[in-house]
Amino acid sequence: MQLKISTKDVISGIFLILMAVVGLYLNQDHSLGTARRMGPGYMPMMTFYLLGGLGVWTLLIGLFSGPDPLEKWTGLDVGTLIAGMAAGAATYFLAPSVWGFFGQTYNAVGVGILVGMLVFAVSPGWRPLAIVCAAVAVFGLTLEKGGFFLALTTLMLLSCVADRTHTLRGVAGLLAFMLALSWYVFIHELDIRVNLWPVL
Amino acid sequence: MELLLSNLAHGFGVALSLQNLTFALLGALIGTAIGVLPGIGPVATISLLLPITFGLPATTAIIMLAGIFYGAQYGGSTTSILLNLPGEVSSVVTTLEGYKMARNGRAGAALAIAAIGSFFAGSVATILVAASGPLLTQVALSFGPADYFSLMLLGLIIACVLAQGSVVKAIGMVVLGVALGLVGTDVQTGQQRFTFGIPELSDGIGFVPIAMGMFGIAEIILNLERPEARSVLKSKVGSLWLTRQEWLRATPSVLRGTVVGSFLGILPGGGASLAAFGSYMMERKVSRGRHEFGKGAIEGVAGPEAANNAAAQTSFIPLLTLGIPSNAVMALMVGALIIQGIQPGPRMVEAQPDLFWGLIASMWVGNLMLLVINLPLIGMWVKLLQVPYKFLYPSILVFCCIGVYSLNNNVFDVYMTVLFTVFGYMCNKLRLEPAPMLIGFVLGPMMEEHLRRAMLLSRGDWMVFVQRPISATMLGIAAFALVLMALPNIRKGKDQALAG
Repeated sequence: MQLKISTKDVISGIFLILMAVVGLYLNQDHSLGTARRMGPGYMPMMTFYLLGGLGVWTLLIGLFSGPDPLEKWTGLDVGTLIAGMAAGAATYFLAPSVWGFFGQTYNAVGVGILVGMLVFAVSPGWRPLAIVCAAVAVFGLTLEKGGFFLALTTLMLLSCVADRTHTLRGVAGLLAFMLALSWYVFIHELDIRVNLWPVL
Repeated sequence: MELLLSNLAHGFGVALSLQNLTFALLGALIGTAIGVLPGIGPVATISLLLPITFGLPATTAIIMLAGIFYGAQYGGSTTSILLNLPGEVSSVVTTLEGYKMARNGRAGAALAIAAIGSFFAGSVATILVAASGPLLTQVALSFGPADYFSLMLLGLIIACVLAQGSVVKAIGMVVLGVALGLVGTDVQTGQQRFTFGIPELSDGIGFVPIAMGMFGIAEIILNLERPEARSVLKSKVGSLWLTRQEWLRATPSVLRGTVVGSFLGILPGGGASLAAFGSYMMERKVSRGRHEFGKGAIEGVAGPEAANNAAAQTSFIPLLTLGIPSNAVMALMVGALIIQGIQPGPRMVEAQPDLFWGLIASMWVGNLMLLVINLPLIGMWVKLLQVPYKFLYPSILVFCCIGVYSLNNNVFDVYMTVLFTVFGYMCNKLRLEPAPMLIGFVLGPMMEEHLRRAMLLSRGDWMVFVQRPISATMLGIAAFALVLMALPNIRKGKDQALAG
């Protein structure tokens, strides 16, 4: 058999194996019990062994089922992917000591995602993903302190960046319409408990 | 029979209450709208609306969500016929003959038979659900924990076998879903598993963030990457009435489509798109108009459209009677039920008669509404296509974000959604199917519980799974399905069938 590598399958396989290894490592904390009286670790053990096995299988198939390369896989894509994940993780750990706000609840996660996504956005291939995810992260960061209207406005403005054909008038109209509609649906009708305006 | 009628009467009493009627109509309208719009499907919409349904009574919530699902089957046919643009996967085959009919000036007839065929098939399938529900429930009540475990395993494996693409990867995704379902507090010992000390994870990973991220927002991003391909309506709709000859040709196709669709809908992983394709293949082989296929044969519209709607209804059977979701939409329904505090399973028919019979009655009512919504109002739906996607996606994002936040009034869920969005996007790039993962995630905790109970009862003897006849049969079928897929010819046939 000739080696015809399907990149998609190989990466899928590696991903599944990785998940299985991490799972088995974490599962060391849980007692297995016996087959008769299974402990909290029994089912996870079986699940992750099976997952690892399927990962190996996928990987092996991937070596012969190709060629099936990823659509885009430029150096810039790889670089920004790794740099983005590193930047996100670093921000997550450092942010709380920079500004107390990031130390509260899960704001560090939000700002970590945001920074990671902004690095992703350097590469054109990741841009739709990065912009949409960044917009959602900013929504999470601004909602509780900035209030309902501010959070929705930033969410929509940021997400509109993802489509180049937007016009100023179109965005303004959309913004006004959606703010009114979501106020009516979520605040007036469903009565969601959230600040409407910024709190200082 | 008498009992069935009195139960159905009870169901209609529930379904015809003003609140339930309103929400059935709302569901049908939303379903038709998203069916018409390419790029947003029932899975994304239902996960989007899940948080909004919390405030509603359980029956009303399920009635509305179900309406979205079968409404999408109606709406999907409209754009397939008029614009050669399938609004849903299940309407892909409708484009083949439907668009040809539209170009021959028979768009009205194609739309009419699609709607009427769907209505007929939906009505028949509803009766099937009503009749088989209590019957299957009786059978299911005699199941022990070992039988349940094997049944769920069978469901998962068939869902994988019928999934698109590689079976091994699909099973991998199922197992990954089961693994994600392990996160949280162990029910029997109270120990925290894989929670990293995060209190929000002690109840497990939220169902809505996963569904919303992987099916809602990841879809938006993938749509943004594709250039927008939409054309304006070129053909006139014409008369909405069929000629006598068209009636004669379409009627047997509708009947065949109903049978094929009802059957394929029950299978796990089957559902509407497989049904539509199965019916199309059948019509091309056996119908009287088979020589006209490719030139706009009405059989090629009538059969698949009846089939996809029949399948949409019958795919509720495994869920309502056994508590096993057969596709991603049904997995969402399980999520909706659990959030409402209802454990899906065979006891649901007796414990929640309002829900079971009310839902069945509402399916019929909803189908009737859809007939009215679709045929006379066709122009309005076509207009909806003129709303560009660039206005649609920020609006969808708004609903996603507020919806997720309102689950627990906690931004943690918002960030989980982002993480699953990235994951869903990567899965798409790697051809890993998200639907099997969602089904695994829903079934995983139930499987663990049944497994532990079965092993306790058997005193740690694994042979219990092959010694109990029901369990052994299930495992046998599952093994058979896997062996079949290993045969190259059958696999090729499946790939072709699903690629259609």
